Amino acid sequence: MIILNSVDELLEHIKEVQLDVISLSSDSLLKMSSYIEKNSLEVDEDISTALQYQDIITQQLNASIEAIDSMKSSINRFNHAFESDESLANESLSKLQTKLAQTLQEAKDKKNRFSGKTSEHEAPIDEIEFF
Amino acid sequence: MPLVIFVDDSETALASTRMVTNSMPIEVKQYTEAQVALAEIKAGMTPDLIITDLNMPVMNGFEFLQGLRTVPATKRTPCLMLTTETKAELKQQGKALGLTGWIVKPFKPAQLKQAITRVLRLPA
Repeated sequence: MIILNSVDELLEHIKEVQLDVISLSSDSLLKMSSYIEKNSLEVDEDISTALQYQDIITQQLNASIEAIDSMKSSINRFNHAFESDESLANESLSKLQTKLAQTLQEAKDKKNRFSGKTSEHEAPIDEIEFF
Repeated sequence: MPLVIFVDDSETALASTRMVTNSMPIEVKQYTEAQVALAEIKAGMTPDLIITDLNMPVMNGFEFLQGLRTVPATKRTPCLMLTTETKAELKQQGKALGLTGWIVKPFKPAQLKQAITRVLRLPA
């Protein structure tokens, strides 16, 4: 299906952009932290938190890249079934819809899991909990 | 000086912890792969405190913790989880595996220092 090939290409492009963002933000933070350490600068709470956001950004983007890979895989399976036997297409389309919905839900769950204390919608979280 | 090891697959996360601990009276070693840290511990390294991330490729924080508890020298070494995860089920799982505490990212520098000071019983 031509339209699904276009969707597949678009997903691949989004994935490449996200990988570039991960790489650039990591380089940026490592340069800043190197400067801070080289000059023995004290980081206050706000700066420390800002620096740690990079790690959270990376985890969030990696989780959405996983979802993109899963969607691409499902689309490719559907395309293959469609090309092999059009009569199977309806059944495959239903499976594709289910799989894409599952992938979206998993991606949303991971977004919540990897937000740490940055989520505005959650109750306050104790920073350190001893057992 | 007490030896504290940090394990996190994110170099930027390790840089953030390094900036907080560089003024403390501790020796710090950092690892981006838990399996490498575990291999060094099995080879004789004896950390006084281990601070690890949970979600890491190859070996995650829980697998690392399980590995640590099989090595006589680190059977009871205090271990803190430093992670973005906030789920109560995961905290319970960590507690059952002998975790000392759970720190949610992003952490506040003063509180990370306090946690290390408390666990190692360093002078305040």
